[in-house]
Amino acid sequence: MSVMHNVSKAVHDRVSTNNPHNSYGINCEGAVNAMDLNRDVSRVVVAGRNVFKIYNVEDDEFTEKFNLRVGRKLNLDFSVSDVAWSHIDDNILASAATNGKVVIWDLNKPSKSKQDFIFQEHTLVLDGSLKIFDIRLKRVASTFSVGSTSIRDVQFCPSNFNYFAFAAADEGGNVQIWDMRRLTSPEKQFTAHGGPMFCLDWHPSEPKWLATGGRDRTIKIWDHALGKLLYSVPTIASVARIKWRPERKYHIASCSLVIDFSINVWDVRRPYIPFASFEEHKNVATGIVWKKDDGHTFYSSGKDNFLYQHVFKDAIRPADKVVPDGLDVSVIGHVTQATKDKTKSLEKKKYSMFSKQPDKGDQFIDAKSFVFSYTNCHQLLSMEWFVNCAKQYILHGRSFEEMCEHNAQVSDQNDRFQVAQSWRMLKAIYTKPTVTKNLLRTESVMSNVSEKPKDKVNQPDTPKSTEKDKQTMDATSEDDDMTDTDLSSIARGQINPPVEWDILFGGADVEQSFPTFGHMENIGPDFKLPKEAFVPRHEIKDPSEVPKQNNQDSPPLSANETEANPANNHNSKVNEDINMLLLMKEVEISEFAFTDCVEQMLKYFAEEGDVQTTVCMLVVLGERRPKIPEEIQDDWFISYLELLARFKLWTVSNTLINLSHLGSISMMNHQSTTINVTCNQCNRVLTKVGWLCHKCKSVINSCAVCHLPVKGLFVWCQGCSHGGHINHIQEWLTISKQCPTGCGHICEYT
Amino acid sequence: MFVTRHIPTDHQDLIHDVSYDFHGRRMATCSTDQTVQIWDLQDNGEWKCTASWKSHSGSVWRVTWAHPEFGQVIATCSFDRTVSVWEECVGDTGRDGVQSNWIRKTSHVDSRTSIMDVKFAPKHLGLLLATCSADGIVRIYEAPDVMNLSQWSLQHEIMCKISCSCISWNASRMHAPMIAVGSDDPSPSAGGKCQIYEFNSANRKWNKVESLSVVTDPVHDVAFAPNLGRSHHLLAIASKDLKIISLTPYG
Repeated sequence: MSVMHNVSKAVHDRVSTNNPHNSYGINCEGAVNAMDLNRDVSRVVVAGRNVFKIYNVEDDEFTEKFNLRVGRKLNLDFSVSDVAWSHIDDNILASAATNGKVVIWDLNKPSKSKQDFIFQEHTLVLDGSLKIFDIRLKRVASTFSVGSTSIRDVQFCPSNFNYFAFAAADEGGNVQIWDMRRLTSPEKQFTAHGGPMFCLDWHPSEPKWLATGGRDRTIKIWDHALGKLLYSVPTIASVARIKWRPERKYHIASCSLVIDFSINVWDVRRPYIPFASFEEHKNVATGIVWKKDDGHTFYSSGKDNFLYQHVFKDAIRPADKVVPDGLDVSVIGHVTQATKDKTKSLEKKKYSMFSKQPDKGDQFIDAKSFVFSYTNCHQLLSMEWFVNCAKQYILHGRSFEEMCEHNAQVSDQNDRFQVAQSWRMLKAIYTKPTVTKNLLRTESVMSNVSEKPKDKVNQPDTPKSTEKDKQTMDATSEDDDMTDTDLSSIARGQINPPVEWDILFGGADVEQSFPTFGHMENIGPDFKLPKEAFVPRHEIKDPSEVPKQNNQDSPPLSANETEANPANNHNSKVNEDINMLLLMKEVEISEFAFTDCVEQMLKYFAEEGDVQTTVCMLVVLGERRPKIPEEIQDDWFISYLELLARFKLWTVSNTLINLSHLGSISMMNHQSTTINVTCNQCNRVLTKVGWLCHKCKSVINSCAVCHLPVKGLFVWCQGCSHGGHINHIQEWLTISKQCPTGCGHICEYT
Repeated sequence: MFVTRHIPTDHQDLIHDVSYDFHGRRMATCSTDQTVQIWDLQDNGEWKCTASWKSHSGSVWRVTWAHPEFGQVIATCSFDRTVSVWEECVGDTGRDGVQSNWIRKTSHVDSRTSIMDVKFAPKHLGLLLATCSADGIVRIYEAPDVMNLSQWSLQHEIMCKISCSCISWNASRMHAPMIAVGSDDPSPSAGGKCQIYEFNSANRKWNKVESLSVVTDPVHDVAFAPNLGRSHHLLAIASKDLKIISLTPYG
């Protein structure tokens, strides 16, 4: 699970807001393979298999200036894989045709066709040659012997660093740095990529830096003098083109050969996430050219036929969108949080008081996270009570009363007072009422209970529980809006000593309500309360009102009446029912339809998410359990079993499976209970006995320590399958980690 | 009440997700530095890194554990548009302090955009994996044979028509399979940022049953509470503020 507190603030670098340019694009009506800008950024050429055009770069749009794909015979010479402007003459262009020819174009030509002349020196595309053409002499000036590989890209070194040098990217992943004057072998050569290298670019201001990109999906920054890797940027797809961003030492733009259609600008110091991303293209981008000396504008072409001008203010900043925090809570209640390290940026802010605003690009690279784990957490998250209850509840083997009582005590000990009261209530409801005894026993329990929480009153950190105690101990429970105490007070009502009855009802009122009961007796066990009549969670009104309402409602209710008049005042009915309930207890009648309220109680706990209580009560109730659809019970059991599994309480979970009355649950430990054993000498499957092989007549798996057959607990290493008596092996492992048979295996016992 | 420990990770960039396993004894972290790290809780309460490997060629957004019944298996999703499923292989050298090996079992490459979240389905549905991508497609993969983690089939593609950021399975066994999808689309006009989908077993399709119009801010995470036998579902939505929504099925 991860959480995003507050979206990290934007890490933009200084984008000049007064930049008049905007992003815009034009459809070139053909997939573009390459593009180039002329010297003064007034014109851009785009070329592809079916397109060859020159556009004027205006303020808000591209306007078509020339279409070079004209003439009668449109042969492969017009189908272009790369194109470049002359650095000297704005009217001269060179293109590489897909048939291996190099075509020179002259825009000054008066004719419609601007094709000037064609070099036919390359026989093939990727024919493994490297040539320099002289367009004045119209012939090849020099041919370099590159060996057997093909060259994917060539780039001249910026002339202010080295006039004669150029670099070539070969298919074997090597960078070759050549001196134009030396044809026989490169000045320098080093392997940059594992696999074909598709592009390289000289850094415009760092004389020693060279960037390369290849099919291995990485952009690498090299010190080419030393052949040393400086930075590596892993991207998600083969790198088709890379271009350093002007005016930013660490920024480089890239586009991919496949998959990724966006143009990413990376900061090589934080290589994992693009600094900026441009997602206008709907197919892979093929060309990137930065506007000269402007780090905020560049042009790109793509296979989607489009030519775009991109400006930085429209860039997507992936780093701003990332989730800076992660958090999870474990079942044990531990919390782990990963959060962005903000200390560095704060430090920067301090400095900025005295110096100029820090470069936001620098903030971008300071991205680290702290991980904190919070153990022994707040009580709210602790599941200790769950584990304790699961372990200590008694679900079978005792009498119903004892189990209820025990479980109530367990709940009390874990500060689960509502659950404890519910257990007691169950007990009270279903116990054959030998009232006096019952009273005594519960009384003693109650005093026990009251002692424990009282100790806690002194502890300041449990004010809630003590408050609850007081409420539960307080028999009157008037105007109590806490649902749990409502439940408990009902239970309490039945077991309270008569003294408190007087407080509740007053002597005369009790007498008055007797007729109600008398009537009830006649109806006998057939009587059923309508469901809505008895809401265990319902708030008890001021008890003194009860008799009054009874009077109003007289003659006393019969079952038929209750069912016939569902519109009766709800409150009064509830009160009456409680009243009846109390009364009946007094005269030792247990044949009362409690099942409905028990059912509602079980459902209540399930709805509250306390499936443990629900399931344990179901099991303890046994045959007394109310009729609840089996699917729902199934669900409760499985939910509880899964919770137990989370805490690795396998024993508890198995006991529960055994005790379950539901077929589908009790079947769970009947599945896959077979362990197949094979003889470790002849590999025959042992069917009848587990320790003697009938084929080779040998005792298998004898103890590796005492060499006797093992009956009873046998442990073995799953690595080498040797083992023996558990105590022998335990003893052995204190001496040595190796297998006692001497097979040399370092045994693994977990 | 809290004992805070700083865990020194050697992630080189932001960490986007931490995830506990089923029992809370192991932890996985993932980062923009394209690595995933696995941490084990030692007996002394310290977390120890037992594995760290480069898992993707882009930021790893989320990591999630499968139910241990399927083995020690995690799934990761990444900016590189793939989802990977990894299984731990403890070799002969494992266990006693030596780093364990995590093997890539499969990699799903169907998405055209970054995959924002990945979640295993609750166990009773089998070995299912739901992913959601930035272009608003939820994909559900299934491994028909739970013993073979390298064979998955793309079962469903749900078009959410809104950029997705997070996903959560409803764990209830009593109800039809259900997922909640959150969106981080910033525009308030794009409608409810949390959608609920339910599987209709009659026509074997996922249908949108609800779009929570109360949630208009971008949603960063959603999570269903464990069901535990409730008749209603609880869904927590982390957006600008936290909303906890109770979903009660009809009928």
